[in-house]
Amino acid sequence: MIAAGQMSIFGLHLTQIGSGDFLLDPSRSLNVRDMDRLIEEVTAHLMQVRAVRLYYDLSDLGLIDPLYYSWLDALARAAHIVNVEMICIRMQPTAAFALARFIEGPPAFKTALEIQDWQN
Amino acid sequence: MTTKKALSEKVKALFALKVEGIASQLEAPGVAMFCGSNRLMDIDEVSDISHELESLVASLLDSKDPTDISSAEMLALKAFFHNLSQKVLMRGGHVEDVVRYTQTVQFALIEALEKSSGVAFGQSRSVLLYFTGIFNELIMAAFGAYLDEREQTLQAQQAELRETSTPITEIWDGVLTLPIIGTLDSSRTMLVMEALLNRISKDHARAVVMDLTGVKSIDSQVSHHLMQMVRAVQLMGADAIVTGIHPEIARALVSLNIDFNTITTRANMADGLKEAFRRMGVTVGHI
Repeated sequence: MIAAGQMSIFGLHLTQIGSGDFLLDPSRSLNVRDMDRLIEEVTAHLMQVRAVRLYYDLSDLGLIDPLYYSWLDALARAAHIVNVEMICIRMQPTAAFALARFIEGPPAFKTALEIQDWQN
Repeated sequence: MTTKKALSEKVKALFALKVEGIASQLEAPGVAMFCGSNRLMDIDEVSDISHELESLVASLLDSKDPTDISSAEMLALKAFFHNLSQKVLMRGGHVEDVVRYTQTVQFALIEALEKSSGVAFGQSRSVLLYFTGIFNELIMAAFGAYLDEREQTLQAQQAELRETSTPITEIWDGVLTLPIIGTLDSSRTMLVMEALLNRISKDHARAVVMDLTGVKSIDSQVSHHLMQMVRAVQLMGADAIVTGIHPEIARALVSLNIDFNTITTRANMADGLKEAFRRMGVTVGHI
């Protein structure tokens, strides 16, 4: 049974962690090639629950390649359209290192070490 | 490389020789070079290397083409001198010791072969030329080890210098400082970035003050590396504050069309620290 503030789609788990704050936890089975469908489902749920902030947990991701970055970028832009701010948290040093080498400008999402760092 | 050429009678006699029992006669140069005041080896070790040398020379002269400097037997002989040189250098000796040993052992070898065969190899120009060619290669092998050693030492010194020239210090809870001195090339940027990102993660740093007071010049590649470093810090969720930018560097950054709009800058390290503390809600003032 899934609670009202929770949503699970294949490869993603969304949990409400506060008033308007949601944590998106990706799993290894996430298929970012199917990003259009994933974005539609996530944004629909964010609108339904009147989300304000979406925290995307990157702690399990040792490397971010251009494909994964385009997924993060598209999701952050889509979230912005529905008035939700996306914050990527717990990015690993190796992922930051790799990502900084191929992105040209600041990303569409915000970053923070932990959820509380952003809330403070 | 194999070269077909007419061999003199004495060279033919040399190649037909069965080399054995001359190791003791090859010991004198080793004792003189390595067992003197420098104490690089003891007598037993010199005896061992003399036996090994005898065996390697016997294999070379007995090989299909003893003039072939790329034969397996010749490569084994070169490896022996390379290793000998490494051993001597590691024990505090000099490459000159090995070179002198190689030269003197050449004459000792010719003398020993003369004694064991009764053929006056030392009187033959072609035999002397043959051994000179072989021993020149062996001296090169000894020098090769010396150059490898020097290269390794230089690389180790450079790595140490790189590490000490970019000390990352946690100056306050969650505030790191990184003074950059000298030039930021690709390899150094990667090292600094790796160390910095790991420190941010380990210390849970929320602000990094990168001080460029020690950077005197900047080009497009260096500025690109700098931007990468700042971006990586921001991606980790920490604030990057760049301080100490010289006017000429500011001018260069403008002419290189580098966008600093997303980067917080301050005139000097003190102002950078004040900004970092302000962001963390820390007030520092006179009592």
